[in-house]
Amino acid sequence: MQEIIDRIHAAESPLIIRGGGTKNWHGEDTKGEVLDVSSNTGIVSYEPGELVLTARCGTPLAEIEALLAQHRQMLAFEPPHFGSGSTLGGTLACGFSGPRRPYAGSARDFVLGIDVLDGNGQLLKFGGQVIKNVAGYDVSRLMVGALGTLGVLMQASLKVLPKPQSEMTLQFECGEAEALQRMNEWAGKPLPLSASAWLSGVLTIRLSGAESTVQAAHAKLGGEIHDRGAEFWKGLRDHTAAFFQDDVPLWRLSLPSTTPSLNLRGKHFINWGGAERWLKSDASASEIRARAAAHGGHATLHSGDKSADVFHPLPDALMKYHRRLKQQFDPRGILNVGRMYSAF
Amino acid sequence: MISNEVVRHLQAILPPHSLLLAREDLKPFETDGLTAFRNTPDVVALPETEEQVKQLLAICRETGTPVVFRGAGTGVSGGALPVDGAVLLAMTKFNRILDIDPLARTARVQPGVRNLAISEAAAAYGLYYAPDPSSQIACTIGGNVAENSGGVHCLKYGLTVHNVLSIRVLTIDGEEMVIGSEALDSPGYDLLALMTGSEGMLAVTLEISVKLLPKPERTQVLLAAFDDVEKAGSAVGAIISGGVLPAGLEMMDKLAIEAAEAYAGAGYPLDAMAILLVEVDGTQEEVSEDVMRVRDVLLASGATEVRTARDEAEQKKFWAGRKAAFPAVGRLAPDYYCMDGTIPRKALPAVLKRITELSAEYALPVANVFHAGDGNLHPLILYDANQPDAWEKAERLGADILELCVEHGGTITGEHGVGVEKINQMCVQFGAPELLAFHGVKACFDENALLNPGKAVPTLHRCAEYGAMHVAGGKLPFPELPRF
Amino acid sequence: MQTKLSESFRNTPEGQEADRILRACVHCGFCLATCPTYQVLGDELDSPRGRIYLMKQMLEGAAITSKTLKHLDRCLTCRNCETTCPSGVQYGHLIDIGRKIAEQSVNRPLAEKLQRKTLAKFLPQQKLFGGMMRLGRMAKPFLPASLGSKISSATAISKPSHSITQPARKMLVLAGCVQPALAPQINVAATRVLDAIGISLFEAANAGCCGAVSFHLNFQEDGLDAMRRNIDAWWPHIEAGAEAIVMTASGCGVTVKEYGHYLKNDPAYAEKAARVSELTRDLSEILLQEETALRTWLQKRGPGEAKRISFHSPCTLQHGQKITGVVEALLTVAGHTLHPVSETNLCCGSAGTYSLLEPEISTQLRDRKLGHLSQPSPDIIATANIGCLNHLQSGTNTPVRHWVELL
Repeated sequence: MQEIIDRIHAAESPLIIRGGGTKNWHGEDTKGEVLDVSSNTGIVSYEPGELVLTARCGTPLAEIEALLAQHRQMLAFEPPHFGSGSTLGGTLACGFSGPRRPYAGSARDFVLGIDVLDGNGQLLKFGGQVIKNVAGYDVSRLMVGALGTLGVLMQASLKVLPKPQSEMTLQFECGEAEALQRMNEWAGKPLPLSASAWLSGVLTIRLSGAESTVQAAHAKLGGEIHDRGAEFWKGLRDHTAAFFQDDVPLWRLSLPSTTPSLNLRGKHFINWGGAERWLKSDASASEIRARAAAHGGHATLHSGDKSADVFHPLPDALMKYHRRLKQQFDPRGILNVGRMYSAF
Repeated sequence: MISNEVVRHLQAILPPHSLLLAREDLKPFETDGLTAFRNTPDVVALPETEEQVKQLLAICRETGTPVVFRGAGTGVSGGALPVDGAVLLAMTKFNRILDIDPLARTARVQPGVRNLAISEAAAAYGLYYAPDPSSQIACTIGGNVAENSGGVHCLKYGLTVHNVLSIRVLTIDGEEMVIGSEALDSPGYDLLALMTGSEGMLAVTLEISVKLLPKPERTQVLLAAFDDVEKAGSAVGAIISGGVLPAGLEMMDKLAIEAAEAYAGAGYPLDAMAILLVEVDGTQEEVSEDVMRVRDVLLASGATEVRTARDEAEQKKFWAGRKAAFPAVGRLAPDYYCMDGTIPRKALPAVLKRITELSAEYALPVANVFHAGDGNLHPLILYDANQPDAWEKAERLGADILELCVEHGGTITGEHGVGVEKINQMCVQFGAPELLAFHGVKACFDENALLNPGKAVPTLHRCAEYGAMHVAGGKLPFPELPRF
Repeated sequence: MQTKLSESFRNTPEGQEADRILRACVHCGFCLATCPTYQVLGDELDSPRGRIYLMKQMLEGAAITSKTLKHLDRCLTCRNCETTCPSGVQYGHLIDIGRKIAEQSVNRPLAEKLQRKTLAKFLPQQKLFGGMMRLGRMAKPFLPASLGSKISSATAISKPSHSITQPARKMLVLAGCVQPALAPQINVAATRVLDAIGISLFEAANAGCCGAVSFHLNFQEDGLDAMRRNIDAWWPHIEAGAEAIVMTASGCGVTVKEYGHYLKNDPAYAEKAARVSELTRDLSEILLQEETALRTWLQKRGPGEAKRISFHSPCTLQHGQKITGVVEALLTVAGHTLHPVSETNLCCGSAGTYSLLEPEISTQLRDRKLGHLSQPSPDIIATANIGCLNHLQSGTNTPVRHWVELL
């Protein structure tokens, strides 16, 4: 840690924080020297009975998940890996969550505490290792998804959950509108849903829970059992599915789950029960953003020409407070400057 | 005292029934759910329109007048305690549910809507709002957002922060912003997390959208009696390690059982030293399986009796006693002081033992009510405020209990907030760099510290003073600061 | 809650009772949620907790003005808060004390005084009120709506006819003050039903208003006098073996059940009052107790016309007397269908003379209640108190009846 602190102290120009380097593509392109934090590894504590795991942020996700699996537990937000070396820190800094997100919660929902180094190289410890904690502002959750612009994530405590006893993936042939209707209706019923997606006329859902529960829900809902369900969800989670394999720009639209078909040209892969829509399209950034905003959502550019902003522009008032927060945590403007918005 | 000039400005924007100025009218607002702290406000405003709130904040900004926000005044950390020279702004007239969207499973409400009213309105669609603080019958959703309130179902369903989708706020700068959205995330920083639990220090909430969940197909409640508090504590860990994630897992000790039973007539076993209430929910099949598993674990952990609620009415009764447990101890003593420490579950037996010792040392009875599943303790210190020094003694005992929680790797507040009550313990929980960072965050939104000043985050000087009195483990906190 | 009662109240029986009640309150605020006036006004001062605080400061010696009196006046005395209160605060008793002291400390405007005095002196007088009702019915077209709507049309009734063989069991029944004029058919129906199951109801000469009207208008001594008069009227019959004193209006019932409390400091009446309270039953309690006989009679009589009914449980029944679910069960036994009703705990706004003194809040509450009672729309709205009955009827075309008329 001291080495990282020294680098921050010594820095006179922006640093680019890098862990596993699996998500370098995410966010705006930035310039600066790389601050490698991948050696800050190790699981600090894990007690299955507490449902809490604490690890240094350079720890590979794979290592954490393997340990949890030994005790039949999991990271319930199903973090995407996007490669073999992805770390806990990078996952939290990007705030990415996988297919289980609408039913279990997001990365930030499972964060209990985070230790960060601010832009002055000062170690700050927010939150803790207990499930409920409202002492002080919730700065640990503020760090999730902040793309390292507010601090270098050093250590995090997460709430973990028991793994479901069994899972089953079911498929239904149906059109987009019907799929959206079903996904939303089912989410309002006491069903053991843990993922739902739609692609090219096929609605795919995942059920998780006790064996008997999953069977009963299958009997209720019908659908064809998908034999390689785990593979399907992993392909969607990590963008290894065929849908993602071309050079057309990839957009992520985050929308109210009941938003109807967007009628934007290109291919659509609906995830999160309708709340996350992956779009392969060469439509203009302004058109896509306008459509997302009209439905109360926002659009992020995941791959493609970054001459338009990567992230949805913020209203002035929000931008004002973003800049102030950045100034507060990184007054010298050292950490991942411009990674989120060029203004800071 | 607030100046006549400010009062004249307020009179210009608020009708007489929305502006209380006479001492007679002000006194009932001197305290919230924590009556040990009282301070008669100078002015109480009860606006009826958002425009009035905006104008009121503008007056406060321009005249440098502080504002303290208040909902139903059920908080138990003194978060709504009036501050000298401030306007006390009660949002209780904003009590309309604006919209329920059953398909999207969302409710849009005004901040003065009662927590339970949301679930009541959503019930027609088979939906409910999950966080259920014990005061849910009365507490407002605006207050819940300010405090990041929890409840008895947090272990499985999370706190307020996990169940709010968006809020529309107004800052003291007069900026109106929607934070979050009805999508599952928003661009930029997670200001929703930052605002939730910020104790009215960053902005005032004008509107809130919350997530609604489908009511579980079936719910079952088990009641287990123990002849020993520590055994009950160990059973909690055993249930969770066993792979069951109960919807609620609550514990009460003998005194709490006695009080709650007197109010609710829930049929709690009065001879038990502790009881556990375990709620499991889910599909029919899941609940049947979990009930059997939990029952086995409880019996193996030494429960003297395990009962399963016969029907929904009995389930409700089991919970009614628990939810009213705090005020019900009003039957045992004229006053109580409720603690809110959280600890790792494994520390439960040790902490309980120490609380019993402390209770004996201070000669003040302590009734224990816990969200055991979350490790969130609510020891209720019983005292009689009409006795000289009783409150001071209770306060010292409370401080000892909270610091005991920190010592065991826990925190001073799980869900009630810091308010004025735990402000000294913030110095034990955090170091100077974190406290300075909190002040920095505050300054980003409220440069002149006009919103709920003096609450939640102590100044370093205050900590230095407190540290001079409390030397933990021979180590003086904040040695670099001057003593007073 | 901490209290520091002033010298002048510290040693009086009332002061001590108030102190005991205040100390039980832990200021948790649960009562705000179920207080009708707080629901409407959203001001702590119009909530039980706020009023408790206003009374606390008064008892602690602070000077009070008409503001405090106004907030105490606005309380419906529905006692919903007592049902909600986990700490067992006896709010009803506290506000009786608080109102008395506030009335003595504050000079009411003359018009208000006159209005209250008229109501307090006039309503309890059965004969005078009956005569006025007859006049009122003639004059109804010329009266302002708020008053006119409260004047119900006359109901043709036949005198209760006892069965040929007089049943051996005897119970007293209270005629009350306004009920004989507004809805004489209620006691007729009660007499008919009880007669059918072998109980003979009779009224005691000289018994009249239960005392609630004057007492709650803060003519507390007048109220106590009415109570003493009723006790005197009933006492010979009690000594002669009357089994119970039956109440067909829950508003009177809650008062008579508390005679023992009201007169506890009157050495001449304390004991008798306690005995009277002990013997007092709501009509529904009697029928619940005689369920077997009731079922036998209903079977013998054969099914009547089944109606879809929304039942409004008066506050004096559910909160004051803590009787819940009984009337609903009796109506179901009689073959009727009961609609589910939301916000059943909330007051309809009648609250004795409240509907005349606070028409604005009262009407809001009435309309809110009628909204719930007509969702879905019933054939008949049933209730258990003459005040609620008349008040609800003033806002709807759906007939509102006392439940016993439907057996």
